[in-house]
Amino acid sequence: MRKNVSLILGIILVLIIIAVWALSFIYMPYPPNEMSIPSKFLKPDIDSEHILGTDNFGRDILSRIMYGSRNVLLVAIGSVTLGTLLGIFLGAVAAMKRFADTIIMRIMDGLMAFPGILLAMMLVTVLKRGIQGSIIAISIFMVPVFSRLVYSMILDTETLLYIKAAKSYGSSRRQIFFRHYIPAMLPRLITQFSSAIGSAVMIETSLSFLGLGIQPPFASWGLMLSESRQFFLGYPYLAVAPGIAIIITVLGFNLIGDGLNDILINRGNSNE
Amino acid sequence: MNETVVLKALNIKAGDNTLVNNASLIIEEGEIFGLVGESGSGKTLTAKAIINLLPKGLSYSADKIITAGKNMLTASTEEKSEHIGKNIGYIPQNTVFYLHPMIKIKNQIVDGYIHHMHKTKAEALEKAEALLYKVGFKHPKIVLNYYPWQLSGGMRQRCNIAMALMNDPKLIIADEPTTALDSTVQRQVMNLFRTINEEMKLSILLISHDLGLVKHYSHSLAVMYAGQIVESGYTNTVFSNPKHPYTQLLIKIIPSLKIKKNEPLVEIPGFVPEKGRDIKGCVFFNRCSKAMDICKDMVAEHIDDMQDHYYRCNLE
Amino acid sequence: MLSYVLDRFKSSIVVLFVVSFITFFVLMIIPGNPAQLILGTDATPEAIAELHAAMGLDRPLYQQYLSWLLDLLKLDMGRSYVYGESVTVLIARSIPVTFSISIFAMILAVFIAFLFGMISAIKKNSIADYFSRSIMQLGAAIPSFWIGMVFIVYFGVKLKILPVSGFVPIEQSFAGFVKSITLPSVVLAIGEVGTLLRIIRSSMLDSLKQDYMDMARVKGLSAGKIYIKYALRGALTAPLTIIGMQFAKLAGGTVVIETIFALPGLGRLVLTAVEHRDIVLLQGLVMFITAMVIIITLFVDISVMFLNPRIKKFQQGEL
Repeated sequence: MRKNVSLILGIILVLIIIAVWALSFIYMPYPPNEMSIPSKFLKPDIDSEHILGTDNFGRDILSRIMYGSRNVLLVAIGSVTLGTLLGIFLGAVAAMKRFADTIIMRIMDGLMAFPGILLAMMLVTVLKRGIQGSIIAISIFMVPVFSRLVYSMILDTETLLYIKAAKSYGSSRRQIFFRHYIPAMLPRLITQFSSAIGSAVMIETSLSFLGLGIQPPFASWGLMLSESRQFFLGYPYLAVAPGIAIIITVLGFNLIGDGLNDILINRGNSNE
Repeated sequence: MNETVVLKALNIKAGDNTLVNNASLIIEEGEIFGLVGESGSGKTLTAKAIINLLPKGLSYSADKIITAGKNMLTASTEEKSEHIGKNIGYIPQNTVFYLHPMIKIKNQIVDGYIHHMHKTKAEALEKAEALLYKVGFKHPKIVLNYYPWQLSGGMRQRCNIAMALMNDPKLIIADEPTTALDSTVQRQVMNLFRTINEEMKLSILLISHDLGLVKHYSHSLAVMYAGQIVESGYTNTVFSNPKHPYTQLLIKIIPSLKIKKNEPLVEIPGFVPEKGRDIKGCVFFNRCSKAMDICKDMVAEHIDDMQDHYYRCNLE
Repeated sequence: MLSYVLDRFKSSIVVLFVVSFITFFVLMIIPGNPAQLILGTDATPEAIAELHAAMGLDRPLYQQYLSWLLDLLKLDMGRSYVYGESVTVLIARSIPVTFSISIFAMILAVFIAFLFGMISAIKKNSIADYFSRSIMQLGAAIPSFWIGMVFIVYFGVKLKILPVSGFVPIEQSFAGFVKSITLPSVVLAIGEVGTLLRIIRSSMLDSLKQDYMDMARVKGLSAGKIYIKYALRGALTAPLTIIGMQFAKLAGGTVVIETIFALPGLGRLVLTAVEHRDIVLLQGLVMFITAMVIIITLFVDISVMFLNPRIKKFQQGEL
């Protein structure tokens, strides 16, 4: 089972991030927004009080990373969950109710045509910036993918005999949906979900970097990167920690998605 | 005598599982040699081993593999590749994707010739046209401009044959050449092989599960069962005096118009074993109606030098 | 074949309409009075009302949508609040920048992806393969601006060989142009290589399993012929489609890179529009960029289809 290298590695990485996240509620070395001008620009040092150093305001970087994890994960997981649920709903309706079919799917096609960042930026203009706006914007970005997936999967499964059997003995639509369709779709949905979280983190990071996402006093790794930009030339370490945090998170979720894909869908028969 | 192929004690394994066990055969120059057996008996693998075409996951060993005069066991990879390309023509079982679907016939049929014979494309196309005509196409020029999927199975097979003949090879390996064809086309193709063999004096290794076909067209044959060659020799000899029970049964099975009304068709009960082909005893033991206790533990090999008749059986 | 082309064409038009619909109406939801935004806070209510009417903002929404749509077809996208110039002109000015880095990035990505993708497939499970696959994964996970910042420090400041900001138009100086787009293109390429490499590798692996590979090997052709003429030829459909899609996506998503490298491209324009809530500019930009994506994708799909000889129809007579 060589393929599981992806899955295992992914799980390890994600667990690291979750550990950081959980820890942030219990103990952070310093209050993440506490500024201390005398301690600004301290270089990372294992022995010092600030293991990852401090930024231009003297704020402890490690604490900010931990604090940032809260919002990044909140936005990423929240938006993907929202998008998935809405996507499942719309996809199912489109697949099961004929008149809604074309309309919904055309709208989904339209939404999918927008490049991701562009769509997010457009939505953020309308909604407010910040956590709420980010979640809604990114979730709308996720809806078409999931609705397309659910739509095609239901149409494929519909022709299978056991569904016809269920319909023939009078199961209601809803029963069929929950008892038959959902379990059949679950593997693909879970795989897509995991990969989607990876994308969501990337988009959130980009939004925050541009100043359109999570706003101060909250922290986000993208925000930290953007704040570090001015001083990057003199103090490169400022960007290292948030960058690595982002990479670990995105890589972790992507690897889980790939690993799951190999197991659940390809049954180990992939080209990997 | 000049031998085109000398194969001695070939063993092919996939991991621990033996697929071909101790196979030996000799193909004389200018003869049609039939390799007969059911699916899964190892015929294709044996043929592929002769021309260095075995898939990567398999391992093989042999005492001798001499193909068209070259020792395949000691030659380098480049030497083997050159030698096979120049001297062997291979016509596979499955015609559907053997020719590349996205490349026109003319561009596929000539590249081996250009590479080995150092000719120009124009010269190559001339020869290709001639060969296509020889294999039965009335308008070779049109065929050359076609893509493979525009041709029927039989036509593709004939293109394969023409392609195999481009370098004037010493040996042609035809793997189940007629299986996917209608009976009329089968006849055409087989007669074509015979013509080629007689006119150009090239050897043909004819692989088939159809003993009737082999009987009609081959000079010598070998019968394979579960990865072993259980009997081999001149076709006439083997047919007039089959020694191995399996061969005897196969001959009986050949459908003919001569069976009596209501006589049940003969069949051999059981299946070809996938595993355990390297046992010391007889591999046909489970299905042999003449099996004796001793057959479980050992099998005698007989070679009749006079007639070149070989068989593996404890019976005389 | 023709029916396929018409079909794709039809659905592209429909999607374009849906996109225009979404673009227009989503952005109309914004609270605030555009006329006021233009005139500023100390304008009189009458002036605002006048401008409001002059801009046609007091008509029912659907009328505004239709007139916007019609103007679009005349390539008139209105006037930007922020810049005061015609949106069309602004976009036209920014296109060369975005396209330059997108095209260059795509060329780089294609080159690297084909090189490593093929090696990876031919020598499956070798060290080169594992190396390529790591690149694949990493490329997707590393945020582009992070790499961008790192590059800026190393190539721009420490080694001082490449400029870290600004765009030099090709008319001005060819060398300057190339230098100014190098770093941003490389950074963009890094983001795209991963996906492309994966597709190429996968397609090649499928192609290598086909029977025609036996044929190529038996004929004893050179390695180049075997792998390029036969293997690669059978593996092109998927990669080419993806390349088209990626290019389209790329062209629409250069915001961050343009910000870091201070390039006056479409992405930067979008950011400005968002920051200042310049609706007119934003509508025009989003519509243009998305339309571009759709058109490029359509073009690529049709081209790839032509490459597949099965589509062409032939007469079959006596052979």
